[in-house]
Amino acid sequence: MTVAVGYLAGKAGRSALYLGAEAANTLKTSLAVVTVVPKPWTTPSPARIDAEYAAWADQLAADSHREAQASLRQIAEGLDVSFHKVASRTPGEGLLQAAKDLSADVLVAGSSSDGSLGQVVLGSTTDWLLHSSPIPVAISPRGYRGSKAGKLVRVTCACSGTPESVRVVERVRALAERLDVKMRVVSYAIRGRTMFPPEVGLHAEDSLLAEWAKQLREMLAKLKADGVVGDDVELVVVTGNGWDEALDDTEWEDGELLALGTSSRRTIKGVFLGSHGAKIIRYSPVPVLVLPS
Amino acid sequence: MTAPSTSLTQQMMRRRPVIGAPIAHGASDHLERSIGTFQLTLFGVGATVGTGIFFVLSSAVPEAGPATVISFIIAGIAAGLSAICYAEMASAVPVSGSTYSYAYTTLGEFVAMGIAACLLLEYGVSISAVAVGWSGYLNKLLDNLFGVQIPQALSAAPWDTTPGLINLPAVILIIMCALLLIRGASESALVNTIMVMIKLGVLLLFCVIALTAFNTDHFQGFMDSGWAGINAAASTIFFSYIGLDAVSTAGDEVKNPQKTMPRAIIGALLVVTSVYLLVTISALGAQPTEEFASEEQANAGLSVILENLTGSTWASTVLAAGAVISIFSVALVVMYGQTRILFAMGRDGLLPSLFARVNPRTMTPVNNTVIVAVVVAILAGIVPLDYLLDMVSIGTLVAFITVSVGVIVLRVREPDLPRGFKVPLYPITPILSVLACVWVLRGLHWYTWAGFGVWVAAALLFYVFWGRRHSALNDGGDGYIPTAVPGEDDVLVVRPKDAP
Repeated sequence: MTVAVGYLAGKAGRSALYLGAEAANTLKTSLAVVTVVPKPWTTPSPARIDAEYAAWADQLAADSHREAQASLRQIAEGLDVSFHKVASRTPGEGLLQAAKDLSADVLVAGSSSDGSLGQVVLGSTTDWLLHSSPIPVAISPRGYRGSKAGKLVRVTCACSGTPESVRVVERVRALAERLDVKMRVVSYAIRGRTMFPPEVGLHAEDSLLAEWAKQLREMLAKLKADGVVGDDVELVVVTGNGWDEALDDTEWEDGELLALGTSSRRTIKGVFLGSHGAKIIRYSPVPVLVLPS
Repeated sequence: MTAPSTSLTQQMMRRRPVIGAPIAHGASDHLERSIGTFQLTLFGVGATVGTGIFFVLSSAVPEAGPATVISFIIAGIAAGLSAICYAEMASAVPVSGSTYSYAYTTLGEFVAMGIAACLLLEYGVSISAVAVGWSGYLNKLLDNLFGVQIPQALSAAPWDTTPGLINLPAVILIIMCALLLIRGASESALVNTIMVMIKLGVLLLFCVIALTAFNTDHFQGFMDSGWAGINAAASTIFFSYIGLDAVSTAGDEVKNPQKTMPRAIIGALLVVTSVYLLVTISALGAQPTEEFASEEQANAGLSVILENLTGSTWASTVLAAGAVISIFSVALVVMYGQTRILFAMGRDGLLPSLFARVNPRTMTPVNNTVIVAVVVAILAGIVPLDYLLDMVSIGTLVAFITVSVGVIVLRVREPDLPRGFKVPLYPITPILSVLACVWVLRGLHWYTWAGFGVWVAAALLFYVFWGRRHSALNDGGDGYIPTAVPGEDDVLVVRPKDAP
């Protein structure tokens, strides 16, 4: 039972550490900082280059350890923090291996530094994680420095209305109850582009959107009627001309976490991000938690 | 349509599922949810407060004396018992068919068809009768205002006591209602709201004027007529509470029906009861009880009291105008109810799907409304209906009894069904409601029963030869009726700023 954070010096910034510390605080558990370094060539070799490579990997791990420690000294007061070095061929595999060895509840990673500040941007490692992790993965927006409240205030669950997503809502509810925070369920209805030439009229997509929003509304109301969520849970349908607009139109609180499930297109157990999920993550201004199916 | 393989008894006993009932081939699946609690409440008030209150005092007060107030309360309680049974059924089975759908859900297809016959009779004959009455009030209003009257040939049916050619004002009223209903349900609800406000305003005006002459001496000898008189008056008054069931025909068109419907039914009951009590108390205080029995009061109702008090005719003109508007709203709501019951039947496949086809632009059953208007207009324009009115009462009371029984049946069969409202003191309330209806029914003549029996038998024959072969339950129809989801209004919908 712990929160595992992937951290590597010079990569992805410190946002993951903030999110990890916050998660560990909220879950009242320990924090494990995992650094994945390249696996050296272990076959004995006279070539000096291999030894240099191993030394560099050790140095990288030590730097990461030092930097992480320096950051966490300020933000993780009273937390039980441990540092782990894992040698692996790819960062993703290394993180999953470490998470498994540490029996972590959740794996926290940062956004790629390619995106703009405040957005969740998937890098090659996080993208890989979101298609293979057996445990929940949390991703912090780039430059995330924790909420002002210092803890999680509300969990928003994105729900598409499929039976799988309803199960995700159930799990998010369990999570919200365990953490004793408010919960909200949001469904997105996004307008398709107007066809050109407009052979079916210019407003065909409008009526589709209205119908979609209506169905989502009924679906959400049914969640409450069926007791999937409690009476105090806020239910919102957001419609928009695009995912960016819809995510911007959603009200976000300080200390909010956006939780979503994975695509129903995957049969085996694990996280597998769908196309809608990927778009929601891309435009989310708050940390995202992706739950495996 | 393939021949059904199930036996006749099985077909007669099969029930419509509460959730996911099938839609007959060719029928539309839904109407537009556009009516809110306030408008729905006024629907109930509009259908209930008709001309009854203008006239019932002249027959009730001679029976019960000043204790007519108690008769009103008793009748209100008796009608209220069925109203709260309606409230529970409407919250559990929120569809447009009113009692017909409740019977279909609880007692099976055969009973449902019988109840449908009762309702069609109740609503169809009421609209015609009300339209004929409207023509009388219009004449009186025109006479009061301009001193002109519509010629006899154009304001009486060919077989009336003083025969005419056609009752044109009645036909025009029905056409106006039909046009309004075709235009849209929310538009009709808005017009109804305005008319009900005027109607209540006129009644309150009466109360205010009558209270200026209030004299407690008129209440002396309060209980002189005894309980026999009070009971007799109560059973007369009971009929002026009929109409609250019209609310339950709006099940497919109100927002959040599980909550809205019971609120509207009970709200309407409270409004109607308080208005009736106010009018009764102020009328009783304004003149001695003996005067209620006079010939002119029987003919002109409350307006005579006003004329006596104010010494001029303007008050009676206002009341006549009030009655014209009042009856318009009764006809509108009752006709609305008629079309929605036929819609529900067409959707369930017990009538041709023609009745359940909805115009995609106005979201109203246009064909259905036109057919109803034509039939009702012919009835109102040509046939004198006085002797049919008692059959309306039987139809209504049988429907009330069915709903009360339905409440018990549904509680036993589907105890876990979500209900937005539950009858208090179950099972006493529904049982008392049945008893109250039986008590009122016992006063009706055998020939009324015979006529009623023939009509219901005809409807059941139609079922045996046509309905049972076309019921949507035979083959699952074209899909499922979308059930209103409780709590839909709790869901916030965020739309882009530039969206309409």
